[in-house]
Amino acid sequence: MIEFKNVSASYDGELAVLRDVSFTVNDGDFVAFVGTNGAGKSTTMRLVNGLLKPTAGEVLVDGVPTGALKTSELARRIGFLFQNPDRQICCATVREELLFGFRALGEDGPAAEARVDAVIERFGFSPDAEPFLLNRGTRQLLALASIIVLAPPVIVLDEPTTGLDFRECEKVMAVVRELNEQGTTVIMVCHDMEVVGDFADRVIAMTAGRVVADGPTFAVLRDPAVLAEAHILPPQITAIALALSDELAACPAPVAAANTVEAMADALAAAAPTSAATPAPAATPDRDGAGVPDELGPNRPGQTATPGRPAPAATPDSPDAEGVR
Amino acid sequence: MIQFRDFSFRYREGADLVVRDINLTIPDGCFVGITGAAGSGKSTLTYAVNGIIPHCYPGDFYGEVVVEGLDTMEASLTDLSRLVGSVCQDIDSQMVATVVEDELLYGLENFAVPREEIPDRVTEALAAMGIADLRDRTIDSLSGGQKQKVAVASVLALRPQVLVLDEPTAELDPASSVAVFDLLARYAREHGTTVIVVEQKIALLSDYADMLVIVDGGRIRFADAPEAVLAHADELLALGVNVPRATTLVNTLADRGLYAGPTVRTVAGAVTAAKEVLA
Repeated sequence: MIEFKNVSASYDGELAVLRDVSFTVNDGDFVAFVGTNGAGKSTTMRLVNGLLKPTAGEVLVDGVPTGALKTSELARRIGFLFQNPDRQICCATVREELLFGFRALGEDGPAAEARVDAVIERFGFSPDAEPFLLNRGTRQLLALASIIVLAPPVIVLDEPTTGLDFRECEKVMAVVRELNEQGTTVIMVCHDMEVVGDFADRVIAMTAGRVVADGPTFAVLRDPAVLAEAHILPPQITAIALALSDELAACPAPVAAANTVEAMADALAAAAPTSAATPAPAATPDRDGAGVPDELGPNRPGQTATPGRPAPAATPDSPDAEGVR
Repeated sequence: MIQFRDFSFRYREGADLVVRDINLTIPDGCFVGITGAAGSGKSTLTYAVNGIIPHCYPGDFYGEVVVEGLDTMEASLTDLSRLVGSVCQDIDSQMVATVVEDELLYGLENFAVPREEIPDRVTEALAAMGIADLRDRTIDSLSGGQKQKVAVASVLALRPQVLVLDEPTAELDPASSVAVFDLLARYAREHGTTVIVVEQKIALLSDYADMLVIVDGGRIRFADAPEAVLAHADELLALGVNVPRATTLVNTLADRGLYAGPTVRTVAGAVTAAKEVLA
């Protein structure tokens, strides 16, 4: 359990970047911190893992103030994923990277090797690959894997999906969700409100170093006062529901309450005056894109939609091909 | 105007072409959004516009890239830099000064902008990005989001005809991301500047871009108005390109026979479509 009791913090001892912040994260929670740049979210994360000490109040990890815990003890309890994996990765091979945490804690040995092997197999890593030659998404997964291999009960993720493409984002968040389902407490800073809406159970909204809302995800993301004060834009379907609720004199309750594509489509279908609608498919994906085929079929409309000159019949395939400049 | 004519490129150390058979015409003043999965060739296309390819990253260059009448292979990097302002993905690698004002002065002085013009240019560029208050701040005291705005301002001060930005809102919160896109769109309208943005935030791109370019495996799969591209939602998802939830919702309504209108790209468009369903 993580407890913030009336915490204030400053980097220079003068300007308070956190002011009287209080909240509790219980074991197994999945909490997202949202708010604008400079709201104090990352500072809060640094206080959680002891990189920063409060100037007032207390930060307690399992009932113990972070100031009374050694860095190594905090590291065992709290894994921290930096926004940029390149600030975290430091070894020459994937295997070395995954062993690094155990070595730093003085816990390397056969048990550590076995856990590293299991993680390598689970993520499908090449153990001898050089981390900095991996693509961005795989480096992010490696950074995440190097934390979870130590099996900390709490993981703190600072913008885990920044810079990732759609598939990489899905892959990283699937791992995070699985960990949470297995009991790991997840504390995440995230600007992507679709990710927050899809994965977090609870949202803490911050602005100017203060907590302005703390509650179930959509209770926070649907509160107009909170959205305005914390300068948050809700996920798109929630935004659509809020707009319909505002603009229609008699907006059906399920439409106003919808937060997912499926729920909104079902609610609109149920409320539509027409009976021409076709029923929803038996299985609906959990998220946009889930369940779509991995490979394209042979006929892809739109392939010729490129403006400009049409592509030539021949493509240069080698440096010696005619046309190299 | 920017024209890619049969453009293909392979980095010197690479075995494969990273982009191939690129034919694309971007009219003046167009706001272009480029997206695609990691490693698809998005950044390489921007390097071809600002001349980083072939002048800094050598390799096998096929075809032509012509920017405002200059063949990028023939023109000097200096001449291209006068036309094309670039904001890198890694902002820290772009910063050269320790104070915000000096960061803007660096480009202006290097391009020998007349001394009397410089103060106004700095003031205008900072105001355009809404960061006039940061003028005397040290760069290392800024947040990632603030640095991104400084980087854009330092390029705007040079008044380029083409602006190339690689993930300019990566570190920004949603409201700030919208604010930056608002500023870029307004600047482009007022100055006739062509804006090319590489971005993963598809909802943001779809909302602002005149043309959406989808790159996959080094090839352009789609290049058209956002609504026309998003009409191929299933294919985009298969390519690893996300689709705005507003678009997915309306496509779902269409699949169920509830909606027969055009593809939408924004929340406002989906609200209108939902009202039609309920009417």
